[in-house]
Amino acid sequence: MQRNRPPSMQAVNVLRALAAEPARWRYGYDLGTEVHLKSGSLYPILVRLADRGLLETSWEPGVGSRPPRHLYRLSLAGRQYVAELTAASPDRTVARPHNRWSEA
Amino acid sequence: MPIVFVPMLGLLGVAIAMMRRHTTVDRPAEDVAERLLRWGVGLLSARRAEWGQAMLGELDHIEGRARRLRFALGCVIGALLLPPWGAAAAGVGAMLALAGGAVAVFASAVGRYGLGDGGQVGVGILLVFLIGCLVAASALVRRPGVALPGLLGGAFIALVWLSLSGFTLYDQIAPDIVPWHPLIVEVVVPFAVGAAGALWARDAAVGRRVARLAGVSAGLGLFLYSTVAVAVLGAGGPPDESDRTVSAIVSDRLGNNVVMLILLIAVTATVGWGGAAAAGPIVARLRPTTDDVSGPSTSRTVVVARGLRLGVLSAIAAVAIVLACTSWLRGH
Repeated sequence: MQRNRPPSMQAVNVLRALAAEPARWRYGYDLGTEVHLKSGSLYPILVRLADRGLLETSWEPGVGSRPPRHLYRLSLAGRQYVAELTAASPDRTVARPHNRWSEA
Repeated sequence: MPIVFVPMLGLLGVAIAMMRRHTTVDRPAEDVAERLLRWGVGLLSARRAEWGQAMLGELDHIEGRARRLRFALGCVIGALLLPPWGAAAAGVGAMLALAGGAVAVFASAVGRYGLGDGGQVGVGILLVFLIGCLVAASALVRRPGVALPGLLGGAFIALVWLSLSGFTLYDQIAPDIVPWHPLIVEVVVPFAVGAAGALWARDAAVGRRVARLAGVSAGLGLFLYSTVAVAVLGAGGPPDESDRTVSAIVSDRLGNNVVMLILLIAVTATVGWGGAAAAGPIVARLRPTTDDVSGPSTSRTVVVARGLRLGVLSAIAAVAIVLACTSWLRGH
């Protein structure tokens, strides 16, 4: 059974980053760098958001021997969810200072 | 005793030779980060395999060794914790209970028999070692096709070990070992477990993991039982010829148990690896071809696979029954 717990602060940050340009496909590493999340936190969040239908995923074909790259953007349900979230608590985004560890 | 290591090393040599023969170099060189991440994404369930490919695809576009390593390390931690755990959670829970019980009994024996600071240090070292075992086991049980045969293999090893040494607490203190026993428990059984694991999953790599998991689970179970034996019997059991104190005797026995734990895990993993590698050619023949999978004979392949698993299980059960009967007859 899927449990829909309230999203964590980090998940809200990811949602808001995606909502800034909802039509644009984003790479995981760039998204993590933008919201200052390590890969160990980012990917579980992306998985949960995709499981809840808030995220659309796609693959960018690999060039030459390079593997394909995963892309993410908000689904329609995701956009509505962020709109509701913003209406409920407009200042929930937490800005943290960027440091070198957050790149991972 | 040293003669036991001759066939063991021989098997190891055969396994290494076979593995090297089957190794193909058809991929560009991987750095540490990619190797680590490839290992990590293997922990993900089949349902999450796509996310593993996403992590690997992203890593390919990250420059700089340190950045790549940090990214890979984070992904591995994420993969370790990412649900669903499914049946793996039960396996980890069981091993956690065994390890926790063993540490508790060990610590109580240290306190009860007054082993002092040395004993406390021993508890600390044991705790660190067992945590390492549990982390390794939790990674192994999440690998596809490893949990069930690995835990069954561990139960089989423990059963054979007890059949040969004896089932009572006294037997754990003073096992009645005859010269051929080490050959069985240190070579034949781990080799059989590794080979059976490879045949079960039709994959030599899975067989190696099955042997490692079997070693850890059997080691934890037998260690708990033998530590309970020391805690209950203390310096009791066979008369000690030297004039040692009770504390010295108990300390010696607890130390022996720790050495046996390490030895059992190491030997099972090593010899089981050889068994899995030796089963490699049979596995290659049994593996269905592309035509088998896509054609109408898929159901026949599934039936054959089920039959093979049933056969392996039946063989394990038969050997266990024979060994138990042998042990019982020897006792009478």
